[in-house]
Amino acid sequence: MALLKIRQLTARYGQITALEDISLEVHAGEAVALLGANGAGKSSLLNSIMGFVRPVAGAIEFDGQPLVGVSIADRCRRGIGYAPEGRRIFPGMTVKENLEVASRAARAVTAALMEEVFGIFPILRTKEHSLGWQLSGGQQQMLAIGRALMTGPRLFLLDEPSLGLSPILTTEVLDRVRAIIARGTAVLLAEQNVARALAVANRAYVLQTGRIVEAGATGALRENPRIREAFLGG
Amino acid sequence: MMPVLRTGLNAPLLAGVALLVAWPFVFGSSYDLRVFTLAGIFAILVLGYQFIFGHAGALALTQGTFFGLGAYVTGLLGINLGWGFGLTLPLSVLGPLLLALLVAVPVLRLEAHYFALATLGISQVMLLIAISWESLTGGANGLPGVPGVIIFGEALPRGLPLAAFVWALVALAAFASWQITRGLLGRAFTVMRENEIAAVSIGIDIWRLRLVAFLLSAGYAGVAGALYVHTVRVISPDVLEFHVMVAVITMAVVGGRTRVAGAILGAFLLVHLPEWFRFLGQFYLIAYGAILLGMIIAAPYGLIGAAERFRAQWFPEPIPLPPLPAASTRGAETLPSGPLLEVKSLAIAFGGVHALEEVSLSIERGEIFGLIGPNGSGKTTLINCITGIYAPASGGIVFGGRDITRLAPFEIARLGVARTFQNINLVDDMTALDNVAAAYAGRRWAGISPELMRARGLDLARQQAMRLLEQLDVGPLAMQPCGGLAYGLKRRVEIARALALEPRLLLLDEPAAGLNQTEQADLAVRLRKLSERGLTLLVIEHNMPFLMPLATRMACLDYGRMIAAGSPGQIRADSRVIEAYLGAPEVA
Amino acid sequence: MLQALINALALGSAYALLALGFVLIVNATRAVNFAQGDMVMAGGYVAVALAAVLPVPGVALLPGVIVLMIVLGLVFSLFAYFPLKSRPPVSVFISTIALGIIFQNTANVVFGGAPRGAPPLFSGGLLTVGGVSLSEQSAAVIVVAALLIAGQWWLFARTALGRQLRATAQDRQMAEAIGVRVNGMIAFTFGLAAALAGAAGLLLANTFFVSPTDGTNYIIKAYIAVTIGGWGSLPGAVAGALLIALFEVLYPLLPTLLPLLDRWIPATDTLFSQTMATILLYIAVLLILFFRPQGLFGEVVQRRA
Repeated sequence: MALLKIRQLTARYGQITALEDISLEVHAGEAVALLGANGAGKSSLLNSIMGFVRPVAGAIEFDGQPLVGVSIADRCRRGIGYAPEGRRIFPGMTVKENLEVASRAARAVTAALMEEVFGIFPILRTKEHSLGWQLSGGQQQMLAIGRALMTGPRLFLLDEPSLGLSPILTTEVLDRVRAIIARGTAVLLAEQNVARALAVANRAYVLQTGRIVEAGATGALRENPRIREAFLGG
Repeated sequence: MMPVLRTGLNAPLLAGVALLVAWPFVFGSSYDLRVFTLAGIFAILVLGYQFIFGHAGALALTQGTFFGLGAYVTGLLGINLGWGFGLTLPLSVLGPLLLALLVAVPVLRLEAHYFALATLGISQVMLLIAISWESLTGGANGLPGVPGVIIFGEALPRGLPLAAFVWALVALAAFASWQITRGLLGRAFTVMRENEIAAVSIGIDIWRLRLVAFLLSAGYAGVAGALYVHTVRVISPDVLEFHVMVAVITMAVVGGRTRVAGAILGAFLLVHLPEWFRFLGQFYLIAYGAILLGMIIAAPYGLIGAAERFRAQWFPEPIPLPPLPAASTRGAETLPSGPLLEVKSLAIAFGGVHALEEVSLSIERGEIFGLIGPNGSGKTTLINCITGIYAPASGGIVFGGRDITRLAPFEIARLGVARTFQNINLVDDMTALDNVAAAYAGRRWAGISPELMRARGLDLARQQAMRLLEQLDVGPLAMQPCGGLAYGLKRRVEIARALALEPRLLLLDEPAAGLNQTEQADLAVRLRKLSERGLTLLVIEHNMPFLMPLATRMACLDYGRMIAAGSPGQIRADSRVIEAYLGAPEVA
Repeated sequence: MLQALINALALGSAYALLALGFVLIVNATRAVNFAQGDMVMAGGYVAVALAAVLPVPGVALLPGVIVLMIVLGLVFSLFAYFPLKSRPPVSVFISTIALGIIFQNTANVVFGGAPRGAPPLFSGGLLTVGGVSLSEQSAAVIVVAALLIAGQWWLFARTALGRQLRATAQDRQMAEAIGVRVNGMIAFTFGLAAALAGAAGLLLANTFFVSPTDGTNYIIKAYIAVTIGGWGSLPGAVAGALLIALFEVLYPLLPTLLPLLDRWIPATDTLFSQTMATILLYIAVLLILFFRPQGLFGEVVQRRA
């Protein structure tokens, strides 16, 4: 059974149609990429899964349960983790606090989870007592990912982790994402950097102006001329 | 002819006026007349407050102070020197005006909550001065013996004559308010209040406009203060107490913040409510608070606003479209030769992150210059530097031979640099037509010219705006509020507004975002047409399929640096551009 | 001199409680709670009412005042904030003015307009420290306020609830996305702010008494403290509050402290009056706003990354 199942989802911001007739699935433990240029609807899709955007039509099911009417906080508590575009760590809190605040679990479990996050991102341990705003962009991205992991997600929504990061840092961050996938967490990754995203994911959907225009396994998509066209023009 | 009648607005309005005229004849006891007179005085005070609080949208807490100062000027001059109404009224207006001018410089630029605090501080200082300067003001007890209104040597008796006189002034003040705000100036106020960024982008000098509103508020308050002491005949610090300010805010919120009828209705109701609710006794003031709370929650636009909305929803009236003007008014341009826009080694950083580094480009007249780059690469930052929203850390920007690096955004707009926004900055509550017409307020702005207030100025602007909307094929939607328009149509309204500035350079920030394929193709055709008519375009886009065929020249930004420049063909073949967009293929 | 200093600190620490609550709400909602001063008044009257039933020293009333004020703050948020949370902050400003009017006049109806006093925290006598006599009440006010401020700090810095409150204040959407129930956090913030202000009311109501219209004066002080301290900064609010109180208490005493002044400046009575202190305070605030809009102590709330 699919962990996340979206059927014919349509969403608008006011009058702007952000998503139209989107259907997709993510299975447990799977890594799926959402590709597309800026404004194609990647973030809108993640936002409607998280509950920030209320869809006008269609259905989203998580773990077999419809998410209609479920609050954002409860979606998180049911097992959807989220690291947003622009990272949005809590700037006035230390690294440790940023992580702690995301855990709803008992103290011992929280400590274990934090060890796990520090295991994935050793640099965060050395910065444990630094305030969020004092971190570099790459460290903030790692913290945002770590914070999402602290909520104990079965599905991890990761929006544009390469934004504003240098190529080397992007490589490092995506490497860590691979490690997270290897742990068995399903990941839905929105990314405009095609090559990078395909290197991480098993499958991908290509979005253009709010619609899915192409889908398939990463190997097949890499050679697909429509990708190049969607980004660079014919 | 009275436009009130012409627009057919208005059985309710006429009924309201009739009620006000009939009121003193029905409730004619001297006490009733006194309350009615006070209602008129507060109506003038609230009419004034609407300029700064309603039209300019700033929470000033000085209106009670201006009122009190006006009262003290008339009161003290009347008691001590025996000066009459003809002399003291102008001075009562002058006092608050001078105070407003004095505090405007430090205070008017402040952000919302600081502005509220600063104005509150000023009002407390005035109150303390009034209480402690006993030799002049009589201290906390105040002074009796303020003379009544004497005009042309005739003392105006209390009762009906005074009430009629005050309400005649209310009519005058209301007419002046209506006259000032019904034209282009009113539209400029709306844009400034609802969307400051949009306002400066069409050349509106926000600071000056806010000053005008503040001074108007002070002047009206001075008149109200003078009339108040003439009515109550004593002067005491009570007029400067904070509860006066609270009453004024409540009246404006209950009646409506921008409508003349709202000020009068709010003042009338809230002055009379204690009389009507006398049975509540000491609970009256609690009810007063509850009414204010209920209104701000249930009817945020006030009674008049709620009535207008109700009417627009249930009894919509078709508004006739304005006629088209005969022809464009555009004059011949004389410009020095050379590139139209030159950006030289521009750099800017936010919190240690270099948003732009050493960016240089030059755009020739008539070009369609395409600027591309991944999300976060600095494209919008560049536009914000060119239009003066951000001040670059180093480097320079020259437009038409003139250095514009340090000019204010509204000045740059007036020089002929127009723009659209990635996230659309239109005023949702205004019609498409008025959104575009407002741009003429910024362009023609040279002090408070009478043209801005005349209905004719607005009519002319609307005609020009109509022509632009027609050009962009959104003419039939001119009377729709922008908030309800589809995204692609909003884009076109924004372009029309930019064109209303008759710009020499048009900056478009991601104009194709959110448009479907057909709309994109349509937009490309329109942009090319504009270019053919001699307009220079700088188009920021993410969407390469849209931009490639359109642009004459292109440049690509990545991490705030210019990584490539040249023809669209060269850009597409550039390996660094491909890497920036598709990513370097990792070793598989 | 020492007594004056202690009095100033006592007044300042009560202001600090009030200003802290003010900032907590600003941070959580971006809105100014104009009724925060009326909360001080409300706390004072709650203390007066409790004292009428329970003849115990003021410090024993404190828990009761805090609990009742938390409840009042929660109810307050249901009317003043939640119906308006998607409107511009100025709407909340006005709704809190409205609730302030309701509070003031309710107090007036219930307790009358005359000032009332709450019992002292302990005995209200004099302490003798090293040969100098001090008002025990002032010293006790400082201690109790310091404990409350420390408690607030501990709650925010050291507890899970505090972290969730801070997360909500720093980025509400993101807090939701990590599972924090933000509406509850905001309501609790209002309760906490009311409790701090109410405690200040209890502390002040013995020395300065309480009357229904006190709120305006207090809110202006809190507003100024927060502005001086840097909008949104908690330590700044405390520092600002202490500064204001020191100025208010010590400025009028300057001629006594520096007898030389009398020789150089005529009319010291008017120049160094309480009123003049207040006027100078406002002028100082205007100057600060003009030259240092970020407050005296620099560092405003950190920008979002």
